[in-house]
Amino acid sequence: MIKKFDKKDEESGSGSNPFQHLEKSAVLQEARIFNETPINPRRCLHILTKIIYLLNQGEHFGTTEATEAFFAMTRLFQSNDQTLRRMCYLTIKEMANISEDVIIVTSSLTKDMTGKDDVYRGPAIRALCRITDTTMLQAIERYMKQAIVDKVPSVSSSALVSSLHMVKMSYDVVKRWVNEAQEAASSDNIMVQYHALGLLYHLRKNDRLAVTKMLNKFTKSGLKSPFAYCMLIRIASKLLDETEGGHDSPLFDFIESCLRNKNEMVVYEAASAIVHMPNCTARELAPAVSVLQLFCSSPKAALRYAAVRTLNKVAMKHPSAVTACNLDLENLITDSNRSIATLAITTLLKTGSESSVDRLMKQISSFVSEISDEFKVVVVQAISALCQKYPRKHSVMMNFLSNMLRDDGGFEYKRAIVDCIISIIEENPESKETGLAHLCEFIEDCEHTVLATKILHLLGKEGPRTPQPSKYIRFIFNRVVLESEAVRAAAVSALAKFGAQNDDLLPSVLVLMQRCMMDSDDEVRDRATFYMNVLQQKQKALNAAYIFNGLSVSIPGLEKSLHQYTLDPSEKPFDMKTVPLATTPITEQKTEIAPVATSKLPEKLAPSRQDIYQEQLAAIPEFQGLGPLFKSAEPVQLTEAETEYVVRCIKHTFSRHMVFQFDCTNTLNDQLLQKVLVQMEPSESYEVLHYLPAASLPYSQPGSCYTLVRLPDDDPTAVSCTFSCTMKYLVRDCDPNTGEPDDDGYDDEYVLEDLEVTVADHIQKVLKPNFGAAWEEVGDEFEKEETFALASVRTLDEAVKNIVSFLGMQPCERSDKVPENKNSHILFLAGVFRGGHDTLVRARLALADGVTMQVTVRSDEETVVDVILASVG
Amino acid sequence: MGLLDKLSGWLGLRKKEVNVLCLGLDNSGKTTIINQLKPANTPGQEVVPTIGFNIEKFKSSSLSFTVFDMSGQSRYRNLWEHYYKESHAIIFVIDSSDKLRMVVAKEELDTLLSHEDICSKKLPVLFFANKMDLHDAMSSVKVSQMLCLETIKDKPWHICASNAIEGEGLKEGVDWLQGNARAFIMLYYCHCVVK
Ligand SMILES: Nc1nc2c(ncn2[C@@H]2O[C@H](COP(=O)(O)OP(=O)(O)O)[C@@H](O)[C@H]2O)c(=O)[nH]1
Ligand SMILES: [Mg+2]
Repeated sequence: MIKKFDKKDEESGSGSNPFQHLEKSAVLQEARIFNETPINPRRCLHILTKIIYLLNQGEHFGTTEATEAFFAMTRLFQSNDQTLRRMCYLTIKEMANISEDVIIVTSSLTKDMTGKDDVYRGPAIRALCRITDTTMLQAIERYMKQAIVDKVPSVSSSALVSSLHMVKMSYDVVKRWVNEAQEAASSDNIMVQYHALGLLYHLRKNDRLAVTKMLNKFTKSGLKSPFAYCMLIRIASKLLDETEGGHDSPLFDFIESCLRNKNEMVVYEAASAIVHMPNCTARELAPAVSVLQLFCSSPKAALRYAAVRTLNKVAMKHPSAVTACNLDLENLITDSNRSIATLAITTLLKTGSESSVDRLMKQISSFVSEISDEFKVVVVQAISALCQKYPRKHSVMMNFLSNMLRDDGGFEYKRAIVDCIISIIEENPESKETGLAHLCEFIEDCEHTVLATKILHLLGKEGPRTPQPSKYIRFIFNRVVLESEAVRAAAVSALAKFGAQNDDLLPSVLVLMQRCMMDSDDEVRDRATFYMNVLQQKQKALNAAYIFNGLSVSIPGLEKSLHQYTLDPSEKPFDMKTVPLATTPITEQKTEIAPVATSKLPEKLAPSRQDIYQEQLAAIPEFQGLGPLFKSAEPVQLTEAETEYVVRCIKHTFSRHMVFQFDCTNTLNDQLLQKVLVQMEPSESYEVLHYLPAASLPYSQPGSCYTLVRLPDDDPTAVSCTFSCTMKYLVRDCDPNTGEPDDDGYDDEYVLEDLEVTVADHIQKVLKPNFGAAWEEVGDEFEKEETFALASVRTLDEAVKNIVSFLGMQPCERSDKVPENKNSHILFLAGVFRGGHDTLVRARLALADGVTMQVTVRSDEETVVDVILASVG
Repeated sequence: MGLLDKLSGWLGLRKKEVNVLCLGLDNSGKTTIINQLKPANTPGQEVVPTIGFNIEKFKSSSLSFTVFDMSGQSRYRNLWEHYYKESHAIIFVIDSSDKLRMVVAKEELDTLLSHEDICSKKLPVLFFANKMDLHDAMSSVKVSQMLCLETIKDKPWHICASNAIEGEGLKEGVDWLQGNARAFIMLYYCHCVVK
């Protein structure tokens, strides 16, 4: 009982933090006693602590009040109490940017930094450098130079580190201290040497030659400080990376030689540097791995940890190198330090054989509850990787994951598990029902809205198509009763999908919907009312368009179009077809084993590349009236690399026009190009309407010119066309040094590569999460089918890739993934044809001496069907 | 003085600390003077222009002084006022050879004396007509005239000629200051106690 009481007391925080309920105004009032004579150091110290506490809590101090407190604090310099003085230094640093006239303490600080009392000198230097700006730096330069070479290590280190901070602000002044830093670099003190090296490096880091020289010098002369060695290793490996230096470089030799240093820290740094180098051969890797292997059996936990963590990281890239340490790793799986044990096991999971999986999983289950969330995430990531490698093990993994899901744990951890389960479901259809069941159980008691909504979305997508959809309804409806608004709204959407897919469930779904229409939240009621009305129509097409497959427009685009619509009121209803489509379709829930921490939620909806083009083009008067931008293609290079002029083209498709944007760069420093345009000769009845030249193209500054082309109205099937392109311009020769151009110039031209327009330029990708429903929705009015033989293609996978990239349509239902060892496959593609026509393609592929393909195309427009079939055949 | 001695004993004010502000234009010799006065002075030490202020301490026979030696450069002069409130005496240093800037010194002095934290207080003001050793230095009488010191009616003041480098004239000044500062802080603290 007593124990429990204690714990509660601790949690509530009462008594544990004396500063918890500080009031800024009261503290500032108290600070007036700084003005009293004589000074009471103990009380003043306490008040300064409070001020610093408040500042660090993020409390805002106005300039006037901060300045007043600061000046009162300056009076405390008359006290010789050591602790108080050092507290003043801290206060000065904290208030350096919020109080005015902080330079008032300059002389007092210079006095302390040059005084006899070593305890004051280092901290005084650090405080002084914080209040000194470039204009004042000259005044203290002399003292800084002296301090850098001071024989007291703490003084020298403080001066070096402060100089390092000031490099950002006053590079030119600090650069003059390089000789002093050089001298400090030969200090006997390991910290001074390290800090001196740091300063020297930062003064030179933008000058590769100087860095190389410095490395040469120190690697030859050798250093005393292991910290400095570690830094040299980092500098050397960065330089190697930047210069793409081969491993025969002396820098690599240096790093390798550090593997034999007598200090373990240096040895580890060198091993870690080698192991992380790109393109390391097995031979180069071997010595590094073997020192890590040695560390695995070190009595020092820190070394074992460092070694196993590094091996864990490289296990995916160099599995065979790490396999050499398997025996040592095996010994670590029972390590009393759980972090080490976890890393050892997950490393073995990454490198081990399928047969060892069960044993390792059992081992890790025995202590998974004892490790921290961060390491649990490492375990989940290892499992995720394992599932991709050994799909047959998914049931073991699923079991393990579901147990983990029941444990306590934070958001990142739970998210990693949920993502992992979802990816297993997607990779292995036979695991779908078990996986969904685990997730259903999880959302019964899930405090993370993001995860609950994500799972509900998945249930809505997958549940209706399982053999027994009815069993999910209860789980979903429970959410409507028990959860927050966001979760309730997601649950309503999921319910609607069950009603739309399964006729026998429809009556009960409608009853539940009815109840949701009385929800206290607007969004939930709106969704319920909307779905209720759609469902009651009992029309497949409506269900497909409004329940299964959501909007495929660009959200920022929709926002802009709606805003525009409200600006000039009209009788005409708002037309969804005028809204640009989303360019990066919301990918199906594919789980990447990305490091969890980097994918922060919630993400802000950034404008896509196409939204940006839309805006840029709309700003050009000549292109107004073309309507919304339908599609922007990936850039195509029209010149070889390293030619006089570099030109690439981005094709922008509008409903009846195309705009070709040519991004040109002039790489000749003795030429200024003017009136630059790209002349285009079409092979078909495409009509060039207008050229918009780039006014001038100085050396190395990219510029764009445009060509506007009308698509042939009379022949809608003419979707492909080849343009021969020639860049035309006026050259003015100029002085390469000054860039000053001659007065007059001459016309010249430059032939570019041909540019192709293909069917893919007329189709925008759109994801249909439920392809079957969309297929029904479009209907078979204009369905056409043809069979082709793809003689030159050897595998189904290759065929699928080719079709997808040729048509530029979006694969749905993950049908772009061909299961192994199958000799037939169906590919589902969805897109919108220029003009806003929904278009669907179903391609049945069979492998038999080449690939045979039966293509079925549906669209709401007959010509579109013809265009697509014509372009395939 | 008998009464005051007793009173000070009663108030616990023996060896009272006195806060002195040392003001004046830059290069007038403030730092040099204070260096002369402090106990561990190492003569011949190079004096560099003060940025902001320095705090120094020295004792006379009955008082211990804490001096705020302020920077006299124009950009710092407006910061003096932050230290007016809590000071018990002022030392104002003038370079008697700097005729050109005498008007500037007078202007600063007038601003100081009319400041709300100073004007109502009867704190003693000691003037050093410094650098008297220089051949073109004006006499302390002349300096006093140029600064119109006779118009200061509500504060005890005193001027003495000094040579800070040799330390001449400083003792006279400090002796005067000691007596007057003592009187001032007696009043000052009695006032505080009564309040
Ligand atoms: N000849 C002479 N020079 C002085 C005297 N007092 C100060 N100095 C010099 O005047 C310069 C400025 O002195 P300093 O104490 O820094 O003046 P501050 O700016 O008022 O603190 C220094 O070069 C001193 O050596 C003095 O009485 N006679
Ligand atoms: Mg000075």
